[in-house]
Amino acid sequence: MGGVGRPHHSQQAMHTKRRYSDLIPALIFLLPGLVLFALFFLGPMLYSLRISFFEWKIVHPDRSVFVGFENYQRALSDSIFQRAILNTFAYTVITVTAKMILGLGVALLLNQHMPGRTFFRLAYYLPVITSWVIVSLLFEYMFNGQAGLVNYILKDILRLIPKDVLWFADPILTLVPIILLDIWKGIGWAAIIFLAGLQAIPAELYEAARVDGADSLAQLRYITWPLLGPTTVFLVVVLVIGGLNAYVPFQLMTNGGDPMDLTHSVLTLMYEATFGRIDFGYGAAISYLLTVFVFIISLIELRLMRQQAA
Amino acid sequence: MKTNRFVWMLISLLIVSATVLAACAPSAAPTEAPVAEATDVATEAPTEAPAEAPTEASAPVALQYWHTHSDPETAQLDQVIAAFEDANPGITVETSRYAYNDYKTALLTAISGGEVPDVARLDIAWVSEFADQGALVQLDGNLPDFDNIIKDTFPGPLSTNYWNGHYYGLPLDTNTQVLLWNKDVFEKAGISAPPATMEEFAAVACTVNRSAAETRYGYAQGGTYFWAPAPIFYAMGGKVTDEQITTATDYVNGPESVAAFTMLKDLYDQGCMSPNLLGGGIATDAGHAEDTYAMIIDGPWMVDIYKNNYPDFEVNFAPIPTGPDGTTSSVVGGENVVVLEGTANQEAAMKWAAYLLTPEAQKMMASVGQMPTLASLAGDPAMPPYFAVFQEQLKTAQARVPHPKWSDMDNAINNAYQRMLNGDQTPQEALDQAAEEINALLQ
Repeated sequence: MGGVGRPHHSQQAMHTKRRYSDLIPALIFLLPGLVLFALFFLGPMLYSLRISFFEWKIVHPDRSVFVGFENYQRALSDSIFQRAILNTFAYTVITVTAKMILGLGVALLLNQHMPGRTFFRLAYYLPVITSWVIVSLLFEYMFNGQAGLVNYILKDILRLIPKDVLWFADPILTLVPIILLDIWKGIGWAAIIFLAGLQAIPAELYEAARVDGADSLAQLRYITWPLLGPTTVFLVVVLVIGGLNAYVPFQLMTNGGDPMDLTHSVLTLMYEATFGRIDFGYGAAISYLLTVFVFIISLIELRLMRQQAA
Repeated sequence: MKTNRFVWMLISLLIVSATVLAACAPSAAPTEAPVAEATDVATEAPTEAPAEAPTEASAPVALQYWHTHSDPETAQLDQVIAAFEDANPGITVETSRYAYNDYKTALLTAISGGEVPDVARLDIAWVSEFADQGALVQLDGNLPDFDNIIKDTFPGPLSTNYWNGHYYGLPLDTNTQVLLWNKDVFEKAGISAPPATMEEFAAVACTVNRSAAETRYGYAQGGTYFWAPAPIFYAMGGKVTDEQITTATDYVNGPESVAAFTMLKDLYDQGCMSPNLLGGGIATDAGHAEDTYAMIIDGPWMVDIYKNNYPDFEVNFAPIPTGPDGTTSSVVGGENVVVLEGTANQEAAMKWAAYLLTPEAQKMMASVGQMPTLASLAGDPAMPPYFAVFQEQLKTAQARVPHPKWSDMDNAINNAYQRMLNGDQTPQEALDQAAEEINALLQ
């Protein structure tokens, strides 16, 4: 529906009646979607908003105690929650940056006319479709502190470290396998989106540039990069939202916050509060705080991107 | 034009109503169910059940039973169910099996959705938590013959069903942790017997370590969650709170508790205890069988685990070494069977729960490593021989704090343990902080 143009004022009066009656079938067609949206998204969302203001009793909701913003205050003053926010932000910034840069590089390579192009496209996309659970466990084995492949390479082959590193015993080092996994798994997707953007750029532009004597670096700087603008905006927004919602690798590799609740992502903390400690009000409050963060960050991103484009 | 548009509108309306109806039909049920059922059960169940009971014998009842049994246990459970169904025509038991880590979530989801199983097997540490939420049916006064059934059960496991003046479950199976010692590694180090005291334990842990050419640890713990150090903690006289569960001050940070954690911290610092407990290392069960860990502390299920994964490995059990006052102790584990609030088949559910406590059912499950909770079965020739050491250990084993906030208390001690292992705090400082955190939970 995005392509509907805005009619001029003079035409508007003439068209109002017809457009209004046009709207009814459109609305009717939209209705099933809207009903499903209301039932499965809006409804639960509003319900959990309500939960977030209560000390919620899961079996007897009628016995829940209204506590106002207490759950939110508790979360904001909770050092574990603050750490989870920090972890999530660090994870998002690092993985999104890395996936964008490496994804663009891979897309540029895959866009070349070279033998085995299909094979490479498939190979780079393969990690994207593998199961999060399986590769999380695989990375956990590779980074095992006493019998892992990574320690073996670092210590016994490269001799970079004097003794085994216990990756999962340190709250900062734990993030290394988590971040590497996400980058490895996400490059392919970013590359495919970039590739689609690259192929939409008319070849004539490059030909004209070549005639004018632009080298390939200049072509990248003055043709490819500006014309990939919308693709880049799309990728950043989607990847950042995905990053802030990180859950599976954190849950599997840290068992939800190990060690010492210092490695939570916002969602693993939400899960633990809700299902581990049966504190549904607190869990709902955390998920709403995350929603607000995601919303604000997305707004800022879109604003920045629009400024850049203008 | 006009008729054309009218036809289109009619068609679209038809499509919409069809999809909306189709979409609504299944979805309306779950969203409405909790409200409708909650009131139904509350008002109708008590009045209906006794009235219909005599005539209901003909109406078949299908009970939902949820559990987290292992493969061999599940196979044996089917036999128990068959025996129960033979004895109680008209009642069938349908089981759902869950992984332990997903179980709490699955139960909570079912409870909040109003579609509860009738009966469930629950970790003993969870019963007070679920009872506090109002999710469990009080059994004293509701389960026929309740007093007779509990008369024969061990008091420790039974006590884990008690919350706020009532019983919300029956002790289904029990277990505790004992010492496992790797005979080969011991013999290579010139040691012939497992340590009897904590002093010997610490000495052996370091001896075995030093005498080995390859990386080897005298002792390994599965993690820093309370269950792992609990046997040593209790054997050395440690306590989490007072008996009345009013304070942790001078208990979790009392001299005995501090001494227990200090010993573990020293073993870790000297390289006698494996660093795997901090996460991301070799698992205790595999490490023990592969001679990396000379000693671990674990439960009766290890027999079956080793039978499957390391059939040639000789499992050797010994009691937990004694603390300074000369007594051993350990931690009580196990499961209880509970009836869930909201069941439509309370009477049949009670029958099934009671049946699981009969000597026949308990004996059948004992053959796959589930230790019975009935005192009358202790020493029964039908019991596997390796139960003896566990049954002896159970006499002194202690239950964790039966409190709805236990998960948080566990977490407080877990984090304190991590802080001292990392050297951020001394054991005394770390446990002082844990005491404060636990006291806050008891307010």
